[in-house]
Amino acid sequence: MTTAPVPETRRREIDAQVGLVIFLGATAMLFAALLLAYAIVRSEAPRWPPAGAPPFPRGAAAANTLALVAASLALRRGWARAAFAFGAAFLAAQALLWRHLVSIHLGPAAGALGEVFFALSALHALHVLGGLFALALTGARRLRLLAIYWDFVLVVWVVVYVAVCLL
Amino acid sequence: MTAEVEASDAQADEIPPAPKGFLRRFVFSIDHKVIGRQFLFLGLGFLAIGGVMAMLIRWQLARPGAPVPLVGKLLFGPAGGVISPAAYTALFTMHGTIMIFFAVTPVLIGGFGNFLLPLMLGARDMAFPRLNMASFWTMFAATAVLTASFFVPLGPPEAGWTAYATLSTAIGAPGPGQTLWVVAIYLNGASSVMGAVNYITTVLRMRAPGMTYLRMPLTVWGFFLTSILNALFVPVLAAAMVLLFFDRVLGTQFFIAGTTPGAGGDPILYQHLFWLFGHPEVYILILPAWGIVGDLLAFFARKPVFGYRVTVGSLIGVVVLSTVVYGHHMFTTGMSPLLGESFMLLTMIISVPTSLLVLSWLGTLWRGAIRTATPMLFCLGMVFTFGVGGLTGLYLADITADMYLHDTYFVVGHFHLIMASALLMSLFAAVYFWFPKMFGRMMNEGLGKLHFWLTFVPLNLVFMGQLVIGYEGMQRRLYDPSVYDFLKPLLPLNRGISHAAYLLGAAQFIFVLNFFWSLAAGARAATNPWEVGTLEWTVASPPPHHNFDRIPIVVRGPHELSHPAARLLGRDWLGQAEVIEPAPAPSEPAGPAPAPGEPA
Repeated sequence: MTTAPVPETRRREIDAQVGLVIFLGATAMLFAALLLAYAIVRSEAPRWPPAGAPPFPRGAAAANTLALVAASLALRRGWARAAFAFGAAFLAAQALLWRHLVSIHLGPAAGALGEVFFALSALHALHVLGGLFALALTGARRLRLLAIYWDFVLVVWVVVYVAVCLL
Repeated sequence: MTAEVEASDAQADEIPPAPKGFLRRFVFSIDHKVIGRQFLFLGLGFLAIGGVMAMLIRWQLARPGAPVPLVGKLLFGPAGGVISPAAYTALFTMHGTIMIFFAVTPVLIGGFGNFLLPLMLGARDMAFPRLNMASFWTMFAATAVLTASFFVPLGPPEAGWTAYATLSTAIGAPGPGQTLWVVAIYLNGASSVMGAVNYITTVLRMRAPGMTYLRMPLTVWGFFLTSILNALFVPVLAAAMVLLFFDRVLGTQFFIAGTTPGAGGDPILYQHLFWLFGHPEVYILILPAWGIVGDLLAFFARKPVFGYRVTVGSLIGVVVLSTVVYGHHMFTTGMSPLLGESFMLLTMIISVPTSLLVLSWLGTLWRGAIRTATPMLFCLGMVFTFGVGGLTGLYLADITADMYLHDTYFVVGHFHLIMASALLMSLFAAVYFWFPKMFGRMMNEGLGKLHFWLTFVPLNLVFMGQLVIGYEGMQRRLYDPSVYDFLKPLLPLNRGISHAAYLLGAAQFIFVLNFFWSLAAGARAATNPWEVGTLEWTVASPPPHHNFDRIPIVVRGPHELSHPAARLLGRDWLGQAEVIEPAPAPSEPAGPAPAPGEPA
């Protein structure tokens, strides 16, 4: 236990980190619930992947992951603009992936595999979008908080990718 | 833990300046006290709307198909003032939605949580004032979206407050009303999560020096634990809303079974997600009420809380157990008997910590010097209705009894005794108790007591009557029970319940009158009119913008009533941050908290 006064700015920063961790805990519950829904849908399906579903383009989805990894690494280095560019590139690549999925009959209305991937990836994309807004608004001032958030977004994406595309 | 925030001198010196200008002060304010009042007014407004809906529902059950008097032509003009089946379904859907998400949540959690947390903890504001403002305006947006759902083609949502699939999917509810409902609930949840992040951080990080966890008032414990449940389980509701939204808008089929080959949708999946949130939700609502009643019973019995540590332990126990019992809402969905019995057992175990809570309340009252002010009357009323409501819960937790009672008015009576009666009682207790601190004026005691008796008696008649007709077999959500022969004999009883309900509704005008009259012309409130020791009563009524001129240094627990040391000062209570001059107690400034649970 220290009795030296904690500087106000440092105290505020810890407050913000505590708040962010609680918020990420709540967000993790959101994705956990969606993954639970996926688990139930999958366990009730007669076979998986569903009969007649085309093979999932795993390679393209994996390639998109690289953009998120790059964004996280860039933030660690303090490169806010580069992180913004990589994040935006990820969203653009996801949009292209969705278009491709719809064209090969893996869209949201085309069966269980498509709907699960769309729900999870769309909600994830919304959180990436939120991260882009935060980057644009606070920029270099909140790098440490932003780095935690972007790492979280990356981890969620990896979990979604492994659970839906690989398993 | 990082609990020891020692630096109070640095904080004490920089008092933030009060904002200027109408918009900054009253509309887009970041002051937790203003935001608390905003939530309070918003919630009370919706409480009135939800209450009027309840009256209309009771009218239809008392006189099925008769035109509604007074407001019938206005509300149901095209049907000649008669509530149509569709309108009736919309009424009970919106009554439940509004009461749970847009009345009780904003008043208790948003209103009192915001107003009280920093004041009770000895802080200048919430940890994140701007997030706090965003939380209120998100809630406001949610109410706007919900209100809009009344005015769209095909009318307001009619899937019940639980919005079970497939009633709530595009098959059961093709109109945009249900979609707006989904969006409103999502926004409401977003507001709750913002609040939860703020409340938890505030309790973890903003406590005044010396305010250890076991010196926090029970009210703070209630809001703290509620916020933890909110942060964990409102996102699960959000997930259900997201999937329902996708089902309705993007054509996914999460909650639609077997319509397309290869689609693995399941309506029961919605129920799992909904109740995974829904059962913690009832504790989300009742925990602040438990905290408030726990504190107020001690304050008005002039005694320390009986077993403070046990009470806190029980609250935590309920929070933990509440996460693993949701299956008792789904006994009749054909779940595995083994799973059902596990849920039954876990549900019944919850009665252990809740019984300890009631024991603590009764022990607090035992041989107390009870002051029967209005807030105390409402607290005592809450103990009674919560007791009855809790006991009826045991019947529903039992699978064999639930098979019969499921979806009857017994269930309606049970949850209204908790959600409507116990919650409403503690909500009114809180309003009467903290009104002086919020608005700087006292409420009228005579009107308050009249309001209590005219609320308490009819309230119990209504909801215990519902237990009876439910036991007799009347299903909930029936538009006209009298079309069934076996329910025809219940019509007089239904009429009696409705008459009690009208009295209950009419009695609320006393409250409205008292509230606004006191706001305008009530007697000026002293700093500490109730003579209690928690920190919010050490600052002016209403408190200044920065709350505390100097951050207080807390030296004792929140319920130091009938304290021997106080007798030297000619009163029976000690403040949490009060330093007694002759120092009769052994000097141990950094020692453990003086066990507040012990009778002094």
